[in-house]
Amino acid sequence: MIRSAAFAATLALASFAATGAFAQGKVTVVTSFSKDVTDPIKGAFEKANPGITLDVQNRNTNAGVKYLDETKSNPQVDLFWASAPDAFEVLKGKGLLQKYTPKAEGIPAKIGAYPINDPEGYYFGFAASGYGIMWNTRYQQANDLPEPKEWGDLATAPYYDHVAIASPARSGTTHLTVETILQGEGWDKGWATIKSVAGNFQTITERSFGVPEAVNSGQVGYGIVIDFFAFSAQGSGFPVKFVYPTVTTVVPANVAIVANAPNTKNAQAFVDFLLSPAGQEVLLEPAIRRLPVNPAVYAKAPEGYPNPFKDPRFAAMTLFDVDKSGARTDVVDTLFDQLISFQLDNLKGVTKAIHEVEGKLAKKDNPQARALLSEARGLIAAMPVSEAEASSEAIRGAFTGSKEKGARQAELEQKWAGFAKEHYAKAKAKVDEAAKLAN
Amino acid sequence: MTATAQKMARPTAAPEAALHTEALDVRIEGINLSYGSNHVLKDIDLDIHAGEFFAFLGPSGCGKTTLLRLIAGFNTADTGTVSVGGRDIGRLPPWKRDVGLVFQSYALWPHMNVAQNVAFGLEERGVARAEIRRRVGAALEIVGLSHLADRRPSQLSGGQQQRVALARTVVIEPKVLLLDEPLSNLDAKMRVQVRRELRDLQQRLGLTTIFVTHDQEEANTVCDRIAVMSDGIVQQVGTPMELYERPANLFVANFLGTANVVEGVVCGSGTARVFETTGGWRLPVASGAEVPAGARLVFRPQVARIVEGQAGVPALMGEVVRREFLGSLVRYGVASGGQEITVDEPFRPGQGQHEIGARVAVEVPMSAVLWLA
Amino acid sequence: MSLALSGAARTPARRWRLPGTPGQIALALGIGAFLVAFLIVPVGSVIYVAFTEKGSGTFTLVNFADFFRTDLFLRSFWNSFYVSAATVVLASVFALPLAYITTRFDFRGAVIVQTLGFLPLIMPPFVGAVSMQLLFGRNGTVNLLMMDWFGIRIPFMEGLNGVIFVQAIHYFPFILINLSAALRNIDRAMEEAAQNLGSSGIRLFRRIVLPLAMPGYIAGASLVFVKVFDDLATPLLLNVKDMLAPQAYLRVTSIGIADPMGYVIAVVLIVVSVAAMWISALALKGRDYATTQRGGGGLARRKMRGWESALAYGVVGLILLLVLAPHIGLLLLSFATIWSYSPLPDGFTLAHYGRVFGESSLYIKNTLIYATLAGGIDVVLGVAIAYLVLRTKLVGRQWLDWAAMAALAVPGVVLGIGYLRTFFGVHLPDGTPLATLWIVIVLALAIRRLPYALRACYAALQQISESLEEAAENLGATKARTVRRIVVPLMTGGILAGFVTSFATAAVELSATLMLVQSNADAPLAYGLYVFMQSAAGRGPGAALGVIAVLLVAACTLLSQYILDRNQKNRGAS
Repeated sequence: MIRSAAFAATLALASFAATGAFAQGKVTVVTSFSKDVTDPIKGAFEKANPGITLDVQNRNTNAGVKYLDETKSNPQVDLFWASAPDAFEVLKGKGLLQKYTPKAEGIPAKIGAYPINDPEGYYFGFAASGYGIMWNTRYQQANDLPEPKEWGDLATAPYYDHVAIASPARSGTTHLTVETILQGEGWDKGWATIKSVAGNFQTITERSFGVPEAVNSGQVGYGIVIDFFAFSAQGSGFPVKFVYPTVTTVVPANVAIVANAPNTKNAQAFVDFLLSPAGQEVLLEPAIRRLPVNPAVYAKAPEGYPNPFKDPRFAAMTLFDVDKSGARTDVVDTLFDQLISFQLDNLKGVTKAIHEVEGKLAKKDNPQARALLSEARGLIAAMPVSEAEASSEAIRGAFTGSKEKGARQAELEQKWAGFAKEHYAKAKAKVDEAAKLAN
Repeated sequence: MTATAQKMARPTAAPEAALHTEALDVRIEGINLSYGSNHVLKDIDLDIHAGEFFAFLGPSGCGKTTLLRLIAGFNTADTGTVSVGGRDIGRLPPWKRDVGLVFQSYALWPHMNVAQNVAFGLEERGVARAEIRRRVGAALEIVGLSHLADRRPSQLSGGQQQRVALARTVVIEPKVLLLDEPLSNLDAKMRVQVRRELRDLQQRLGLTTIFVTHDQEEANTVCDRIAVMSDGIVQQVGTPMELYERPANLFVANFLGTANVVEGVVCGSGTARVFETTGGWRLPVASGAEVPAGARLVFRPQVARIVEGQAGVPALMGEVVRREFLGSLVRYGVASGGQEITVDEPFRPGQGQHEIGARVAVEVPMSAVLWLA
Repeated sequence: MSLALSGAARTPARRWRLPGTPGQIALALGIGAFLVAFLIVPVGSVIYVAFTEKGSGTFTLVNFADFFRTDLFLRSFWNSFYVSAATVVLASVFALPLAYITTRFDFRGAVIVQTLGFLPLIMPPFVGAVSMQLLFGRNGTVNLLMMDWFGIRIPFMEGLNGVIFVQAIHYFPFILINLSAALRNIDRAMEEAAQNLGSSGIRLFRRIVLPLAMPGYIAGASLVFVKVFDDLATPLLLNVKDMLAPQAYLRVTSIGIADPMGYVIAVVLIVVSVAAMWISALALKGRDYATTQRGGGGLARRKMRGWESALAYGVVGLILLLVLAPHIGLLLLSFATIWSYSPLPDGFTLAHYGRVFGESSLYIKNTLIYATLAGGIDVVLGVAIAYLVLRTKLVGRQWLDWAAMAALAVPGVVLGIGYLRTFFGVHLPDGTPLATLWIVIVLALAIRRLPYALRACYAALQQISESLEEAAENLGATKARTVRRIVVPLMTGGILAGFVTSFATAAVELSATLMLVQSNADAPLAYGLYVFMQSAAGRGPGAALGVIAVLLVAACTLLSQYILDRNQKNRGAS
């Protein structure tokens, strides 16, 4: 009895405390950005808008989306603030965002080929980042490894077991990179490239930050990361280097106002601030180091700061089809998981064997062995679904649960995993054969 | 209860023949043991003969269990030696001593059944399987528990548990058998029965056995000789009758049976010595009696006699204050000179009794008294 | 759980026709309602998805068939099983010598060992795995030195090895604590009887001591098994995804995909965990030796000879070094300037502590409030459930026990989502959803840690002879007063042990918290730490916050240990 009374009292107390927290001029944001990013922006925003307090809730992108979905009946947050555009697409699709037309001026429609804002006005790009390769110099020197320049370098023998990437299913930015390669090189060739690099992976992390973390501490040599991870690590003094390959991806970071937000006005003020020159300039701070979407702001950037609006590396970016990407997001991520993440041991096994045989062939050539190797590569590259199928209703339905689905998601996954396993095993047999010839 | 009340089985072919036990003497010399400033055992010397049933008797805290555990190797003496069959075992760890100890709590392992408990010691000795089976069977037969071999200890009565503990110990054919208060966890009726069985078993196995108890009746009834202990000192060693008849000191006299101790002082010298009690009576000291300094007059209740009216011999005068009928005898309490003298008189039907309140004389046969300090 | 039966064996004659006093029935109903409201309904609201067809939402079992048809899930299942079993083995290797040496020998510092042995349970999220990587990873301190000296590299942290290694270090205290208690409770005569019959050393330990301590060992080992089976944080941080709990997490939280398989796995996790607890209870049925013995005095503590002593200190030192490695790494990290591909940090600084100093006080305050309240709720519920199960004949009382224990198996993220789903719709008078109150975090923590407190209270109550209560009732005390004046005081040790375990582990819990924290002002330390650990610059401050968390929890643990000792001394003196 005493206990329940105490419980009631605690509840009452708690509700009192919560009521008190409804201060005027509050705006709450759910974000995946680290403190290094949010703290300076919070400071600048509160200075520019006296009386409004910015309350930051840190969640990773996935948990944030889940959170907004679960709390939609009575939203308590005003803004969603994260990198991955696909997360915003999902939120938009679920009707969890509201439209707004920002007041900011001078922001172009596209960076490279990528549209900065949602054409329908549900979310807005406020910064861009480029993808590239980050490596630990101590690791690289201690293991006597080369400095990479291009994505393709990572597929070569010296990098075997030295590379890390975040899972595209968990990292929206990695997903964009994968999608960029697929769109740039075409479905089949793109997957072949991705798999050839994947054969050298040491690990596939579950969080975006897991990759720079592993490179920073020297557990992994090379990581495929967004530039600011590398730059902020350099800023903190870690022995890391970073390079943009000639074909890089621009990854926008976005902000959106939550549907039925309790403080819509303040939320709008935050979006406007973020896109204003004052807000954009904060992005240049060393700890944040993102690329502003307002080209004018680069005038204040330090020497050597990459400018995606002028830098040819960014201009070379392929034409990116957002609709195409959106239609097959789940399929691409699941394919990556089933063909690469969960078959990594098999894939690495055959890749290692290929590297070894190639090493021997470089010394003493054998055309028959070369033919076998190329057959093996073909087997590795083979895909269980074609580009057209990937976007088909039948397969998409398996993920979204629509009526037209041809099979359940679990059935597809099992099928794809079996496909990959079988093909990698066949490829391994070919390579083993080649190895005998090469001796 | 029904199971424990069974007599130990008496098989036709004696099962103890399967166990090869031998009788060895145990010699304890100059043992001292202290826990910090607490001197627990003081200069213990004991000579226990081969095949003897020997008791350590004394009140709790006298050191008897400590001494027993020392023989088993669970305590280490500061000085002195323990030897069995002429071999010094003082430096051996408990598991190399071959000294069988039956614990007061029995210490049966609850995770093993009866047969496993009994087999344990043999397995530790690496005895062959068939031999283990044979000897475990024999040991259980000796204690009459063959039919309970598969039971867990928790399913047994107290008496049965004790027999298992006994079987578990004798099956290893120990050089000496040590029993730590083996009867204390049994009810009164069982005690009488089990102590006879213990005696019987000891006789059949011929094992030198040391029995720790605080109960003089237990010690008297089963043991050949007893070491009476108090305050970490062996007060006296002897057969039960010797100890009863000729206790070495007041402690032994009091601890074994009932004794009247009369306070007073000896006056005079030579043949004219007189014991003057604190109550004021004067009793002549028998000539030739050795009276140590500060000694008191000690006699057993059954040697004195109550006389109504004038006594013919030196006597203590008093009043009957208590009468207890004990069947074969009647025990009187006579208040005399500020203390109560106990006198036992045989009960003979038809013969009159002394009444409470009667003025009586307690005749003390001075030749049969003891002078103890 | 099994002992519910023995508790029912002798119950004093009842005056009432009801199966218990009205108070007992009310208590049982109250607890039942609490568990339904804060455990069963929220979890049910999440995992029912496992039984529905995607899209249409109609009832189906096909998802379970899919589970058994999919190689990945089967592989994950076996990996989880293998990792859990191997962790129990490795944790036993750590725990056995520590428990044995400290309880069996005259060992100076036994108290310190027992206290330090508790510390690994208090491992804040993220930083533990990071510091383990820095020490034992492929290019961690140990392997860099090994490469330098011998040219070899030991794959401590590769794949499943890493999970087993980290989990064993993290959870071995469960075995240590339970095994030590069991070893202390063994009647000394049990061991001496064996020595007397010629047994010694390892054989004595294996044949007598260990079997007698088995109930304690199994209690600890089953807890370790279940925790490892259900834990998702460690495998995910080590990037091991083909285990059940990570699979469930990844699928439940994947964006935009309504994948029922995540919930199917959650159901499997719960079923396996409950089955594991049930099997261990069966194995222990009727074997609670420690409490059935007469006499006592515990194991004889033997003095060690010179070389034995040296060996013992060596072994204890080595194990402590190993199990405290995450904490040592954490401490180094919190003072490190840069630590990258080198055996030790490049330099040391106090700056990280300076950075977290200001904000940590808020986190500390929140952590203390949440963990204390959660621990308090847990012991109150624990005592009540233990009492109802062991001392009453209420119908279905074991269900309270089972339901509470099932919480062990509910992944934190499932509970978190369930709370959001259930309590966001419940509005307070002013319109705020119930789920936004910090008290909901407390309730989630309390539910998550209830099994620990419950087991401790259960064991404590089991060791109290019922005749002590009967004596009080005989002298005129009502049931309620008997509980207050006799039962609870006698259970103090167990209650406090339960509180400490719940408190300490709740203080570093993240998975449920992460879903439920609504504002920075309500955030506990673990959340603050998570926020820091998302950036390169935050690694040092995060570690500093981790050190603060560990110190804080350790201090509270020591304090309650001290109070416990003093209480017991007082009771011994009176």
